[in-house]
Amino acid sequence: MSFALNGVGLTHANGFVALDGITLQADQGEHIALIGPSGAGKTSLISLLGTALAPSSGQVSILDFGQNTASTAALKRLRARIGTVHQAPPIPGRQRVITAVLAGRLGQWPVWKSLASLFYPLDIPGAREALARLDLADKIFQRCDQLSGGQLQRVGIARVLYQQADLILADEPVSALDPVLAQSSLQRLIDDAASRGATLVASLHAVDLALNSFPRIVGIKAGRIAFDLPASSVSEAMLHELYASEGQILPTQSNEACFTPQAASTPPLRSACT
Amino acid sequence: MTCSIARRWALKGALACAFAATLGNLPAVAEDAVLRVSAIPDEAPTELQRKFAPLGKYLEAQTGMKVVFTPVSDYAAVVESLATKKIDLAWLGGFTFIQAKIRTNGTAIPIAQREEDAKFTSKFITADPAIKTLADLKGKTFAFGAPSSTSGSLMPRFFLQQAGLNPETDFKRVAFSGAHDATVAFVAAGKADAGVLNASVWDKLVEQKKVDTDKVHVFATTPPYFDYNWTVRGDLDPALIKKLTDAFLKLDPANPEHKEILGLQRAAKFIPTKKENYDGIEKAAHAAGLLK
Amino acid sequence: MHLKPAERDPASQPRFYSALLALFILWPLFQAAEVSPGALFDPSNLKVIGSFLSGFLPPERGSEFLGYLGKATLETLAIATAGMALAGLLALPLAYLASAAGREKPTLNPLIRSLLTILRGVPELVWALVFVRVFGLGPAAGVLALGLTYGGMLAKVYAEILESVDAAPARALRLNGASRPLAILYGVIPQVSKELASYTVYRWECAVRASVVMGFVGAGGLGQLMDQAMKMFNGGEAASILITFLLLVFVADLISSGLRRSLDQAPPPSAAPFGPGSTGLLAIFVAAVTASFWFLDIGFGALFTLESASSINQFIGSFFPPDLSAAWLRKVAQGVWETLAISAVGTLFAALAGLLLAQARPRLLFNFIFNALRSVPELVWATITALSVGLGPFAGVLALALHTTGVLGRLYAEALDNAPAAPGRALRLSGVPSGLAFLYGTLPGAAPQLIAYTLYRWEMNIRMAAILGFVGAGGLGQLLYFELSLFHYAQASTVIIAMLLLSIAVDQTSAWLRRRMA
Repeated sequence: MSFALNGVGLTHANGFVALDGITLQADQGEHIALIGPSGAGKTSLISLLGTALAPSSGQVSILDFGQNTASTAALKRLRARIGTVHQAPPIPGRQRVITAVLAGRLGQWPVWKSLASLFYPLDIPGAREALARLDLADKIFQRCDQLSGGQLQRVGIARVLYQQADLILADEPVSALDPVLAQSSLQRLIDDAASRGATLVASLHAVDLALNSFPRIVGIKAGRIAFDLPASSVSEAMLHELYASEGQILPTQSNEACFTPQAASTPPLRSACT
Repeated sequence: MTCSIARRWALKGALACAFAATLGNLPAVAEDAVLRVSAIPDEAPTELQRKFAPLGKYLEAQTGMKVVFTPVSDYAAVVESLATKKIDLAWLGGFTFIQAKIRTNGTAIPIAQREEDAKFTSKFITADPAIKTLADLKGKTFAFGAPSSTSGSLMPRFFLQQAGLNPETDFKRVAFSGAHDATVAFVAAGKADAGVLNASVWDKLVEQKKVDTDKVHVFATTPPYFDYNWTVRGDLDPALIKKLTDAFLKLDPANPEHKEILGLQRAAKFIPTKKENYDGIEKAAHAAGLLK
Repeated sequence: MHLKPAERDPASQPRFYSALLALFILWPLFQAAEVSPGALFDPSNLKVIGSFLSGFLPPERGSEFLGYLGKATLETLAIATAGMALAGLLALPLAYLASAAGREKPTLNPLIRSLLTILRGVPELVWALVFVRVFGLGPAAGVLALGLTYGGMLAKVYAEILESVDAAPARALRLNGASRPLAILYGVIPQVSKELASYTVYRWECAVRASVVMGFVGAGGLGQLMDQAMKMFNGGEAASILITFLLLVFVADLISSGLRRSLDQAPPPSAAPFGPGSTGLLAIFVAAVTASFWFLDIGFGALFTLESASSINQFIGSFFPPDLSAAWLRKVAQGVWETLAISAVGTLFAALAGLLLAQARPRLLFNFIFNALRSVPELVWATITALSVGLGPFAGVLALALHTTGVLGRLYAEALDNAPAAPGRALRLSGVPSGLAFLYGTLPGAAPQLIAYTLYRWEMNIRMAAILGFVGAGGLGQLLYFELSLFHYAQASTVIIAMLLLSIAVDQTSAWLRRRMA
């Protein structure tokens, strides 16, 4: 068992119900795609699995770790086993690519190693290998603010590859990439998970990408699970029903605009990067 | 040995060294071989330092100790460090002596004063021709020296009270210039309508033509009172106290070397003094509300 | 004008009431600050200030004086550097404890925050008097006093700088199991290193100016020299010292921009993250701090003896109980009001002037003006402004405003440069006049930063306003100086408590305003 949610609900402080009665289980090594319209609760669900948020109701068990009896040290050990790819890569702009990637193992390394790596990176080969899988090996000593949005997103993926997590969570991991690169980068993540028997849960806005790459699809709508089926059993009608609020056309890679940095006033890539 | 190496290497080392060094020589050496002297900053601290230089040499010769003078710009710091035994000898005003006496539980000993200090006065000055008596000061801005100055604050305040004036309520605004020569500058520049300072500094400024007496003039003078003295802390070695007292009293205007020292101190000669001389100031301080 | 609810700007009503409230609060403050611009142009005042300023030329160049000046400059540099090193040592752990950065739940540490407030809120002179009991007269007491107050200030600002940036990187690291210190080092520090570095250099520069306070306890230095020159109205000496201050500010500026550049520049693509430049800077820094402590010959060992502990204890004990009699409280309350007025009005003037000048060109000229304005310590400005408008709060207001204009103008200009350029450029490209493009495009992006700078400055100015009282600007400072001089510690204690409460109130108001307006 990789994780199990049992009747989980999540209500924000302002009263907004983000998740409601979610029951979902995954075996170790499963690959699951979360799909659904914007605001359906995909990100909340991923945050819950990543222990960033605690449920308002229901039981959560992640990697056989019941969250309700969390001690700080145990929680830390658990978290070191969870890797998350964020939509906006949470990497300071003036940090170098190598440091950003090595940061993936801060939870596993002894403190001295983490501190020393600020002055001289102690695992250059490891980071280079992870970056090479995303065709970024030549950027290893560059600073993140010298990268494009798409390159930065792939650095975020490289960090998780480097972390070698048992549970990989990905929140729109390839939204800033063009279709070809998106497909190949996602595949790296899937291959890595498969080779190590890690569980992978990815939320994807492009339905075709999800259906083509993942065996199990979970559709989420208004904070509830709309369906939880093998990819082959998901019908066109179910998808239209799922995305009813967004019009007649299903979001796919071809019609979905790339993730574009938002206006300068709201926290954009720039602020993640400066 | 280790010390110098450490110091060369890093801040940490330097700190550790300083720490070790201080612990090593704290009580014995520092207190015996060095006479630590300071003065209330009734004049500019650098001026005080300049004035003290020959006197310091003389005291070194008389006591056989190294004399270190630290100029400060705050009156209270001198009293505080005398009370906490951080200095040995201090040039105090009449009121600061009273403060020191109280804060040392009566142990501070005044050893000598200038002849002039036995009948000291303060001068009220103004650049405003309309001000002719103390009573004309009502509703004006007024500059004292430092708050704890005897001749620049306490005694003038006392005599103002005797004349029926309360600085807090009768003046438009009260400023503390911090030093006597500064008070003159305040008044000359029109920053204050009137001010008060000690007679000795006023005479010096007039003598040196540092003040335009056509513009700034004296319109009142206080009755005489006891002021400045050299004070030692009471737990000093009595033999040393005796040496210091004698050194001051021995200064002879006929001796050219001594004359220079006395000239800089603006003293005709030094005379003995005693605590009781300052009882009047203590009473005045109570009356003026500066002592509680 | 009755608009349908749908057509009415929903923001209009709160805006109207905020403006009304601001007016309602500011008007009495202006009254208390005795703002009277007319006095500035009064012919007799102009004559006094004119003759005073004409005394500034030529600057004093006598070799004896230059000798003093050189020695004082060295002393000042050493005191400022040693004081800042102590402050840094104190500030790093305190900032870590106080800051919400890297925490999963934004819990602020109220205990540490109040400790910081006390460190900052108690005037340097009081700290200096505490340490005189341990070290005697000389630089040690001054350095420690500086270290404590600046430690408090640095810690607070460091904590807030750490909180001010995108928290996502640190949060993501925590979710990977990283401990809080590591999450801050890897996720926050890279974002803020520039700000931290330039703020620290800026504070160092302030410490250079603060040496005037260190003179209280015999630490000497430029400030003490300046204080004398101004008190004696020795214009030539004052001019030479001012030039020295200005040079020091330029040096600080060079260091700061050098640091920023070296942090800005992407390092060469090699495994070692520091180039020879950074290593050299670090070496110079270590050498400077070591040399300063060596030069000042401070024996900190004295601090850790039983005797000094009891002496400090006794001193602090003498401040209790504070005098809470009605008559005294009334007097203190009046001082509080006056101090508040001086700080608020002074900061407001400076913000307006700074905003206008920050946009002025040529930039180099105005940068020079800003530097010149802030190179002069507030207390010195107060002496000059008192000459032009007479003793009183308005002189304090002007002094604060002049110095603060230099500080804020500079910060505003930088903030506007760093603000996202795209919105303003887009507007200009569509034919909008550049002034309006600034208001609609650039200013909204920079506004939170500008407001934050202004409010921070206000928090600093409230403390400065208290000290300005020493030169007759009224307020709490004059009360405190008077009572301390007379060893009326019970009364002084009330004043210090009032200062603390006032600075807490201002901090809270400022934080609340920042939250509201950001």
